[in-house]
Amino acid sequence: MNRVTIPIGPQHPLLKEPLSFLVTLEGERVVDSTLRLGYVHRGIERLCQERTYVQNLHLLERVCGICSHVHTTAYCQGVEALLGIDVPPRGLYLRTLLCELERVHSHLLWLGVLAENIGFQTIFMYAWRDREIALDIMEELSGGRVTHACNVIGGVRIDVEDDQFYSIVSRLYKLEQRVEKFLDLIQHERTFRARTQGIGCLSAQDIQRYCVVGPVARASGVNVDLRRDAAYAAYDRLHVNVALRQEGDVWARTLVRTQETIESLRMAHQLLIGLPEGPTSVRVPRRVPAGEVVSRAEAPRGELVYYIRADGGDRPARVKIRTPTLTALITLHDQLQGVETADISVVLSGVDLCIACADR
Amino acid sequence: MNIDRILEVLREWCALGQLDTRRAPLNEVFVSLPSACLRVAVQLLSERFGVHHLSTITGQDVDGRIELLYHFWDGQGLTLRLVLPRERPQVETLIDLIPGAAYYEREIGEMLGVRFAGHEDMQPLFLPDDWDGAPPLRRDFAGRDAQQEGT
Repeated sequence: MNRVTIPIGPQHPLLKEPLSFLVTLEGERVVDSTLRLGYVHRGIERLCQERTYVQNLHLLERVCGICSHVHTTAYCQGVEALLGIDVPPRGLYLRTLLCELERVHSHLLWLGVLAENIGFQTIFMYAWRDREIALDIMEELSGGRVTHACNVIGGVRIDVEDDQFYSIVSRLYKLEQRVEKFLDLIQHERTFRARTQGIGCLSAQDIQRYCVVGPVARASGVNVDLRRDAAYAAYDRLHVNVALRQEGDVWARTLVRTQETIESLRMAHQLLIGLPEGPTSVRVPRRVPAGEVVSRAEAPRGELVYYIRADGGDRPARVKIRTPTLTALITLHDQLQGVETADISVVLSGVDLCIACADR
Repeated sequence: MNIDRILEVLREWCALGQLDTRRAPLNEVFVSLPSACLRVAVQLLSERFGVHHLSTITGQDVDGRIELLYHFWDGQGLTLRLVLPRERPQVETLIDLIPGAAYYEREIGEMLGVRFAGHEDMQPLFLPDDWDGAPPLRRDFAGRDAQQEGT
């Protein structure tokens, strides 16, 4: 049979961000695929070396348009470790609260994108409507919907007032009930299952070989979650339930992410209830003593790694960022092998692509 | 991760005498190894200790040499540090042992000009196809002006 190679991207209705896939088809089946990144490469790692530690906060928040807060969390955590300072508990709780709200909005956004790609407009509309609840709360707390500028080196710059507390808790509860409905729908809706079950399978061995992280790994039965395993920020004071599935297909990833959303809402509730009194940040010196540090945090898509090297000045000598999407992209070749053309969109959505993150 | 036992085994296999180790904050240990020992060390980590997860590889141009840092994670961090010369840096690839290292090696290849022996597909991943400047993460890369960029 004749082989046909079609480009998907850099600009394509299927993709929300630019990346380029060359997919080779034999009839309706995919037999090969090549990936090319770099369409939103901004050279952020290099730019970080030319800016001060404080200026970098604003830059790093813009690595990603979805998980902006976790980037500054990992960065601040690293710089604070180099400085040898402890963030006050209230600051850590608020930082963690934003991390969890961000996970909620990222997972609901993703659920909407997946639903739209399989033609299930109802879930798309509902997921994005309900995501607004999380965005509203974050906007009230920080002033920004997706770029919160909430972290500073030494803590956070936001605080929760008493009158905000009840309003936020009641909205979190409302959102949790809605996400429970999504979970029920995903488990039992026949159309949804038909489009996602058995698609894009990755075994636990594949996950290990490709060093994949986050919900994609957890959907293949690999029990990793840095919130529990590294217990950074305020996670050591929380009970983290890790959502786990064994199937390894797109359906399992959907379930893992939806269960995680519910877990995150519960954790956000726990964090608000247990919010300690006291200051939210401490003052830090501008210069950071020489040293190096590897800082890890669990972004909505999995393990986020920052390597920071300080040489004693007010600018870092090197900042290396490894985002979780990069680990998932490498598996796409295997996942696409042999799938029908109509399922390409499901496979691509299944790993939750964030190309701005991957490109930096 | 039994870090003391790992360091002991690495010392036996990869170092003549003393192994240069340093503990860093956030539960990370940095170990310097000769570049010839990289593959042995990675095999030992994976086969004897079940440490499979390579978080990433960091490349940096520092003090007139190229450093590669292989960050592993298994409940705690372990970083293997390799020092390469600045002129024609080269190291053996890991992609047959850890296929997930492929993109990290390609990125370091284009950003720092390091050659990974045995890695066939080293096409650019992030930089433009027609990139003709120096590797942009090298210290002597001064940037390109707007005219060169054609904007």
